Formats: sequence, structure tokens, C-alpha cells
Amino acid sequence: MIGRIWAIALNTFREAARIRVLYGILVLVFATNLLAIFLGQLAVYDAGRVARDVGLAGISLFGSLTAIFLGVFLLYTEVQRRTIHVIVAKPISRWEFIAGKYAGMGLVLTVLVGVFALAMIAMVITQGTGVSSAIGKAVVLAWFEVLTVAAIAIFFSAFSTPFLSGIFALAMWVIGRLTPDLEAQVRAATPWIRITTRIALQIVPDIHLFAVSGRTLDGGAVSVHGEFVPWSYVGLAGIHGLGWIVALLALAALLFHRRDFA
Amino acid sequence: MAELAIDVHDLTKTYRTPFTRRRIEALRGVTFSVERGQIFGFVGPNGAGKTTTIRTLMGLVRPSSGRATLLGHALPSRDARHKIGFLPEAPYFYDYLDVGELCDLAGRLFGLPPQIRKARADELIERVGLGRARGQSLKKFSKGMLQRAGLAQALMNDPELVVLDEPMSGLDPIGRKEVRDLILALRDQGKTVFFSTHILSDVEAITDRVAIIARGQLQAHGTPAELVSQSVLGIEVTVRLPLPAGAGKPRRQAGSPEAPAGAPEAPEAPESVPPPGLPDAPDAAPDAPPSIDLALTRGATRVRRLGDELSLVLAADADVDAWITRAHAAGAKIVQIAPRHETLEDLFLRRVTPEEFPRAKGSPGTSPAVAPLPSVAGADRAAGENGQAEP
Repeated sequence: MIGRIWAIALNTFREAARIRVLYGILVLVFATNLLAIFLGQLAVYDAGRVARDVGLAGISLFGSLTAIFLGVFLLYTEVQRRTIHVIVAKPISRWEFIAGKYAGMGLVLTVLVGVFALAMIAMVITQGTGVSSAIGKAVVLAWFEVLTVAAIAIFFSAFSTPFLSGIFALAMWVIGRLTPDLEAQVRAATPWIRITTRIALQIVPDIHLFAVSGRTLDGGAVSVHGEFVPWSYVGLAGIHGLGWIVALLALAALLFHRRDFA
Repeated sequence: MAELAIDVHDLTKTYRTPFTRRRIEALRGVTFSVERGQIFGFVGPNGAGKTTTIRTLMGLVRPSSGRATLLGHALPSRDARHKIGFLPEAPYFYDYLDVGELCDLAGRLFGLPPQIRKARADELIERVGLGRARGQSLKKFSKGMLQRAGLAQALMNDPELVVLDEPMSGLDPIGRKEVRDLILALRDQGKTVFFSTHILSDVEAITDRVAIIARGQLQAHGTPAELVSQSVLGIEVTVRLPLPAGAGKPRRQAGSPEAPAGAPEAPEAPESVPPPGLPDAPDAAPDAPPSIDLALTRGATRVRRLGDELSLVLAADADVDAWITRAHAAGAKIVQIAPRHETLEDLFLRRVTPEEFPRAKGSPGTSPAVAPLPSVAGADRAAGENGQAEP
């Protein structure tokens, strides 16, 4: 089982590594970091603060967009180009195929997040600011976020077109990110709207858990520039993300299992 | 009873269109079986249900009803897929891989250890004739090379059952022969080969059993000998016509054989008239080819002229001796006389309506009493379009 999943994962990694858009995104991330250096020089107080904020935002934003892009295209192209016919006819379960695709995507995204993080750390060091453990925790949380978004994209891709899958995945990512803000907004609304919103938010992964810098958590302000979350929080957030990933991939596998490849 | 490699019983598949939910019955109660160690040809026109049947067997498509077993395992079965090699129709592979990497991927999915993967890949790549293209990515492969690569990956697990969907598609005549030889070699190794094709000559050449499918239903099923009638359907006669009076050398058309050097001039034709309903070849005018004696075509079920040669099919009970006498009297030279038995193509065309296989119209065996005389080029083109033109 592991061997088959690994075979699909390696093949997916090779496939994704050939997508030129990814290299464009890498260039974009480096350009954003350079922009952060420029913005930092314009900042009145702390140039390093701007570098950290822009760098982490870049990992989260570009990482998530890449996850959506890969998630909606890699599975779809297998079906569209009919390469899946050769694979599914082999002694491999469809859930193993989905798991392999996801693992391959996870490898690509891990490498990308790693490169993004290294670029950010280089920029922060250039700005004369030390690299704290808070940055490490924030990067790990961003990595969890990217992996969760990839699972969302794969889930939609199991039954929908790339365009619709992309729209749905993007919407879930935005809503998941804004969950606390949406809850605050509807707090004063009518009970009907409040309940409907709460139910709707329950079926969206809590992606905001991975982007806590600048928020208030348990009554205290959390910031990557000051007091940040402990590693235990990072671990719990990871377990939460893993739960969503497993659930989304299981649903994707279930839908994929019922599909005809005509 | 012999052990069955494939046993399909009352298999149906119904699709529904996305918005209108209209039912499309791709398979309607298909039942057949394939014994182990046989080569089984699955024949049918486009849209007949060949590929749907194969995809259902391979687990790509879920049947609407019915049951099937592969190597004794009920569908869907991963255990069965361990012992099956599959080449899909018009295969598309990961174009960034080379053929060795494709075989390695297939080997990994079959759970083969690295040493065996490498040895099998090396052996199969040579066997399908891709040794020189080893380092090339599949992106640079021609359709025929992709087909060969597909065959190599299909055989990585040393399968007991090989399922090939249109394996000759896209191959040149040499490639087709190599695939035929490969299929025969697989049978010699005790493997079962199930393949679909349009090319009836391939089916006749190598299969032990044949099934013809059309409109999602099996039309015929059995050995080629069982399926086609063994009785004589007609007598095929070819004669060389005499030169028209006053003509010099016979006019040559593309494809017509050259007269041997020093050959005696053909005797002058007796009373010779162009028969009604038998127009001259389009390029016959202005120097007309030999005209046809009406007496020669009397009673013929098919008449065809290529240059100065006339081919006819006489009724099975025709008086051939009398006809030969008439031909000699008309100055014609007998080139060939042979009995005509039913072929698989005749059976196929009989079972498949012209609407399903429109290019079959006017083909041998379905001709009206007297067919038009196509030019040589036209005849070759028609045969080529049917995919049955032999090299």
C-alpha cells in the first residue's frame, strides 16, 4: 500500500515540478520580499517588522494559491488526459491514488513553503533583525494552512471542473480565514442569520487557526513580533488541520470511487 | 469445462446525459466467456461498446447491472488486476517520463522489487522495439511508439491475462505484424489475450475465438470457423480482356501489371459491347480500354475492372466450364479462378448495419448485383479507409 502511494506521490511531484507557473510564483515571492525591504525602509519604526509581516503573508497567500492551483489541476488532468486509465487498471485502490496525489502535492508544497521561508529569513536577516522561534512557529502554521487548502482543492477536484473547484476552494479558504470576523459581524444580527452563519462556518475548515498573528487569543494579543502562541498550540492546530485533511481526502476518495472513467 | 479467464454475464451499462438525463445504453446484456490460453478478438464498429466492455472489465467503469469474473475473481477485483496487463485505447502516458520510467512506475504499482522492475523493463523495452528510444521522453514518441510503450508497461507484471484495446491502432504494417507476433508469443507462453480491433484481417489471422458487438449487444460469438459459413458463396474469376480492334499497346493504369516483354498480342475481340450499367472507369476516355463482352458478365454477382483485367464473382452453382468457354470465345485470357468462401468481414458487414459502419457500403460481399467499377486509385482509397488495406 505504502509503495503504491509513494509511487503515485513521486510521479505527482515530478509532474508538478514541471509546471512553469510554480517558478513564476517563486519569482513573485522573491519580488514581494524585495518589495518588503523597500517598504521597510519607508517604515517609520521597525523595518524588520514589515519584512516579517510581508514574508509570512507571502507564504500564506502564495502557498495557498499554489495549493489551490495544484489541487484543482493535477487530479483533473489525470482524468482529462486519461493517464488515469493506465493507473486505475493496476492493483491500486482509488483512495490510494487520491492519497498518493495528495502526498505528491504535499511534497511540492513543502518544498515551496521551505523556499518561501528561507527567502523570508534571508530578508529578515538582511534587515538586521534576529530570527525568533515565533517565526518558526508561524512558518509551521502557514505550512499546515497550505496543506489544508490543498486537501480542500483535491476534494472539489474529485467531482468538479478546475474552474469551479478553484472558485469553491478559494471561497472556503477566504471564509475559513475570516471565520472570527464573520462571527463577530453576525453577533448583532437576527437569530436566523446568526444560526445560519454558524452552521455554514461549521462546514468550513478553521483556517484562521493557522494565521493567529495580530489576533486576540484567550484574551491576550498574539503577535509574531512579540508574544506568540506556544508550540502546544501549533501542535493542536496541526492535529486540527490533519483532521480536516483526512476528512476531506476520505470524502474525495469516496466521490472518486464512484466515478466512471469513460 | 475449460477454465475461464473472462466470464461476462448479462453486462449492461447505461449512461445519462448531464442535463437532460437522457439514457444512453452503451451495453445491453453482453454475455461471453474467454477460456484460458486463448486469443480472443473483440470486434465492432465505433460506438458499438467494445471499449465500454473493456473499461468495465478493468474497473474504470461501473456496470449498471450484470456480473463478470476475471481469472475467477468477481469484479471489481484488485486481486485480478494483479494478474492482468492492460493497454487502453489511444493511450496517453505521462509525457515527461521515458519508457523505462513508465515501466518502472507500472512495476511499482504492481509491487515488484527494484531488481525485477529493472530486469523486466529492460527485457520488454527491447521486445517491443524501443531499445533505441530508451532515453527519450514519451513526449517525443510517435503514436506507434506510444502504443509499443503501452504494451511494455502492460506486460511488466508478467500477466496471466492481457487486455488490449485497439493494440494495432496507429501502427504501421511492420508494427502491426510485430504486435500480432507478440500476441501469438504470449499465447504460446500460456497467457490469455483479449483484444479489440477494427482490423478484421488481424482477427482472422491470430484469434482462437471472436465476438462481434454492435449497438451494445453481442451479435456473434465463436471460433472464426464456427462463425463463417464453410459453403462456397461464389466463384471468383479474373480474366485479361482482349485489346479493342485497331488499338496498339494496351493502356496501362496505375497498379495494373505490366505486360511481359515479347508477350503475344491479344487476339481481336469478337462482337464486344459495353454492358449497360457498367460504366467505363472515369479515366477511361478518350482512348477507351478494352470493352467488356456482355456475355462474360451475365450471371455475375459482382463485376470489377482494373485496367485490362476483369474480375467477376459468379454464382456458386454457375456453370464455370461454359463460362470459360465463353471467355475464350471472347478472346479473354483466364488469370484466376477460385471459390469464394464467407469471410469474417462478410459476417461483420452482415451483422453491422451500414448506418453504423457507413464506409462498409459497397464493400465486397455487400454489393448489389452489379457494382460500379471504381478506378484503381478509388478502390485502394476505399480499402485504406476501411483500415483493411494490407501492405
